[in-house]
Amino acid sequence: MLAYIGRRALLAVFTVWAISVLSFAIIQLPPGDYVTSYIAQMASMGSVVSDEEAQALRIQYGLGQPYYVQYLKWMKLVVQGDFGFSMEWRRPVTEVIGDRLWLTVVVSVAALLLTWALALPIGIYSAVRQYSVGDYVATFIGFIGLAVPNFLLALVILYFGFTLFNAHVGGLFSTEFQDAPWSAARVWDLAKHLPVPALILGLAGTAQQIRIMRANLLDELRKPYVVTARSKGLTEARVILKYPVRVALNPFASTIGYTLPYIVSGSIIVSLVLSLPTVGPLLLRALISQDMFLAGTIVLLLGVMTVIGTLVSDILLVWIDPRIRLEDT
Amino acid sequence: MAVALTVVVAAAALAQSKSTLIGKLEGPEVVTDPAKFPKTLKEAPQLAELVRAGKLPPVAERIGQDPLVIKPLKEIGKYGGTWRAGFTGPADFWNGFRCCSGPDHLMFWDYTGDKVVPNLAKGLEMQDGGRAWLVHLRRGMKWSDGKPFTADDFVFWFEDIYRNKDLVPTPSAVLAINGKQGVIEKVDTLTVRYKFPEPYYMLPDVLAGSTELAGQMWGYRALGGFAPAHYLKQFLPKYVGQAELDKKAKDAKFDSWVRMFLEKNDWARNPDLPVLSPWKTVTPINTPTWALERNPYSVFVDTAGNQLPYIDKVVLTLAENLEVLNLRAIAGEYDYASRHVDLGKLPVFIENQQRGNYKVYLDPGDYCDLIIKFNLNYDADPEIAKWFNTADFRRALSLGIDRDQINETFWLGTGTPGSVVPTDTNKYNPGPQYRKMWATLDVKKANEMLDKVGLAKKDAEGYRLRSDGKGRLRIEIMTLGGQFVQYTQISEMIREQWKKIGIDLQVQEVERSLALKRTAANEQQLGAWNNDGSEHLFTFPLHVFPFEVDAVASSGPLYAKWFQSGGTQGKEPEPKMKELMEKWKRAFGVPEKERIQLGKDIWRIAVEEVYIIGVVGQGPAAMGVRVVKNNMGNIPSRQYNSPDGKTPGVSRPATFFWKN
Repeated sequence: MLAYIGRRALLAVFTVWAISVLSFAIIQLPPGDYVTSYIAQMASMGSVVSDEEAQALRIQYGLGQPYYVQYLKWMKLVVQGDFGFSMEWRRPVTEVIGDRLWLTVVVSVAALLLTWALALPIGIYSAVRQYSVGDYVATFIGFIGLAVPNFLLALVILYFGFTLFNAHVGGLFSTEFQDAPWSAARVWDLAKHLPVPALILGLAGTAQQIRIMRANLLDELRKPYVVTARSKGLTEARVILKYPVRVALNPFASTIGYTLPYIVSGSIIVSLVLSLPTVGPLLLRALISQDMFLAGTIVLLLGVMTVIGTLVSDILLVWIDPRIRLEDT
Repeated sequence: MAVALTVVVAAAALAQSKSTLIGKLEGPEVVTDPAKFPKTLKEAPQLAELVRAGKLPPVAERIGQDPLVIKPLKEIGKYGGTWRAGFTGPADFWNGFRCCSGPDHLMFWDYTGDKVVPNLAKGLEMQDGGRAWLVHLRRGMKWSDGKPFTADDFVFWFEDIYRNKDLVPTPSAVLAINGKQGVIEKVDTLTVRYKFPEPYYMLPDVLAGSTELAGQMWGYRALGGFAPAHYLKQFLPKYVGQAELDKKAKDAKFDSWVRMFLEKNDWARNPDLPVLSPWKTVTPINTPTWALERNPYSVFVDTAGNQLPYIDKVVLTLAENLEVLNLRAIAGEYDYASRHVDLGKLPVFIENQQRGNYKVYLDPGDYCDLIIKFNLNYDADPEIAKWFNTADFRRALSLGIDRDQINETFWLGTGTPGSVVPTDTNKYNPGPQYRKMWATLDVKKANEMLDKVGLAKKDAEGYRLRSDGKGRLRIEIMTLGGQFVQYTQISEMIREQWKKIGIDLQVQEVERSLALKRTAANEQQLGAWNNDGSEHLFTFPLHVFPFEVDAVASSGPLYAKWFQSGGTQGKEPEPKMKELMEKWKRAFGVPEKERIQLGKDIWRIAVEEVYIIGVVGQGPAAMGVRVVKNNMGNIPSRQYNSPDGKTPGVSRPATFFWKN
């Protein structure tokens, strides 16, 4: 087991390095650099940046050097735990992301818990009561949840929230708590704002998980061991929950690989629509303005999270499902 | 279908209320007659508290002997409260400059935007036939940290900042006349002299406008005309030594001392920077909330002697996108909003007035909201280059645009269709006939003109064929998305309209960095933009003729280079364009009367030659839809709307107040 984890971890380090190179390369792909986008911004506001000034700016930001030099410079910082300076925000990258990271985690975890809390029971129900009215309703809602894009749902909820309930539009805090230090009142304010984004972010995932749970459980329910368990005289609840559900849980474990990065980035589009102060919109903005250290760090972070998530799922799978033999890997 | 319906509903809503939406142009005034100055000075209660506690000098000492007296638009206000608004991120710094900087120009415009009045400076005095100008400062005026504001702050800026090549790589064009740089020198503590090699009659306008000499908002680029010497010296190598400064910059994690200096001199980012504006930044723009608080040393007072501003605090909250910002405004979550407010949502704004406890005002601009620039230097395709340089081709294209349809659809009928000239009351407007010249829909005439210039042959679909036999004549227009005006959508409509004159227009929306790159590389054919600011022809000529190389849409990057380099680089313009440029240059060195004549000549040439097509203007598309809470006082029913007026700066937001 230890050797297995060790091998996996080593591979993970290599993958993360490859991700860092790739993310840096991707950020360099669009035409121009941060200074170009800065000049364009100035120009659209009527001020003009001369060639000499642009040149001076490039030197100030170290943009004139070849890409590999910029990459090595950045890597040197990263290894020291310093991710460089965001050009647009002109603050250390760790601070800019740090502001938003915890809120992102709160929103995403809330969405995730909601997804599981809804998807598991409904999935089990609609598998056990296949073709019942309840199953049809759950299936119907599930398909709608899958088909409707999240951001559209966000817009609709935002609109009705405003017209019918006079709810605060977007964001995670009321204006008066925006900058307030943490206090019980502020936490309560956050709790009041949390359900809408959590629901919107969670719904599509819920629909998907319901379908997966239902399909897996249906496969399992027909297997002989279920019949055996039943014939042993176990209660129905125990039969279902103890054996087939446990087996059907595998896909949940294997999706952790991509839920982890999601937890730190949130959904970019929904966050934009709802104006959530999460990492997602930050990444989009950083990519547009070619703020390469910020964008690079977020992409790197997402990569690392995916790698860690995959590792965790692998280990979890081995743990919950003894049928997965280590020799296979 | 849905769009059409919205437009119909919108038109109906507007027909009802357009007259009530556009009010009379009005605003506060600067009092310059000392006889009308207040005898005693008063201050906000919390500042009085600090004075009693001995933490702040008395108000009269803080303001000095020569307050900047402003007569509020309607009434003397009350102290207190917060003004809530939205902003879109660190790049949106104009937002705060417009609302909260005072403005801190030496001179500024009166509410009409036509007349220059004293502002931070007590007055200007012309000497030596315009070759020198004396700036008189106010006695006892102080920076926000209580240190005196004197001529030394000007000399410091000029000698130590402006002349430092690391900080200012290119000398400013506005501190020069005919390409020859001026100097700034100290006469005595309260008098500064600007000296130029040739007469510079335009200097008062330059100090009033949003130019590089106008106040601390330019500090982030090391310009501004003055800077707090006592604070900034610690960030300059001359005063602390290169080695020590480099170490300081490194410790503070800056790439270089230059970056650190620019950061420290940034009005929106550095809460420690001493300022002269009524409000000062307390939480910087690179955080989720940009907050500003009253400056206890503000030199602005009302006619009753109350130190301004009335409102304690301005809080701008970050909106991740424009839709959310607009929805928040509709929901009444902002107290005063005009920047980023979308004209297309006007009916929704009107509908929710009561619920949100706000009122909608329209502030039409004096300029054209949509212009189309021909790149006269385009050379990648000689055929297209030839047509762009044919006046009748440009005129015919202009005649092929149905401006009324565009006005109804995108401006909801609130704009004025016409050429590029500024509003009729503008002093440089050459006359009412120039509004319609080559700027009405006349498909028949346009077709005749195109036939005549040599584009008579058409293909099976009715599009005109190139004269070199290489198929259909295709023209590209470059647009940018996500702007105040919907350039792409309007261009699509023009594409449909030009089918009637056999012109095949391709609309290309590009990302703005790419746009800039293509313009600079001379790859743009047509470009859509607005000419906001052009009503101040001499301080903002960017969208009148090719003035600078780096513009979002250019009407000739090589001409611009020629103009900027004094004829040594780029390409010499055709005679008419050259005449226009020479007139513009000459205007800086002549008295106002002659200048106005030159200004009219410039617009006349611009309209006759149609270097730039004007489509719809004098509308509220750019920041002209204003949403203000009903209980906010001293709000004008209409205000001068322009970058030069730093609108709402021209209405002096320091005089806005909460009635209850």
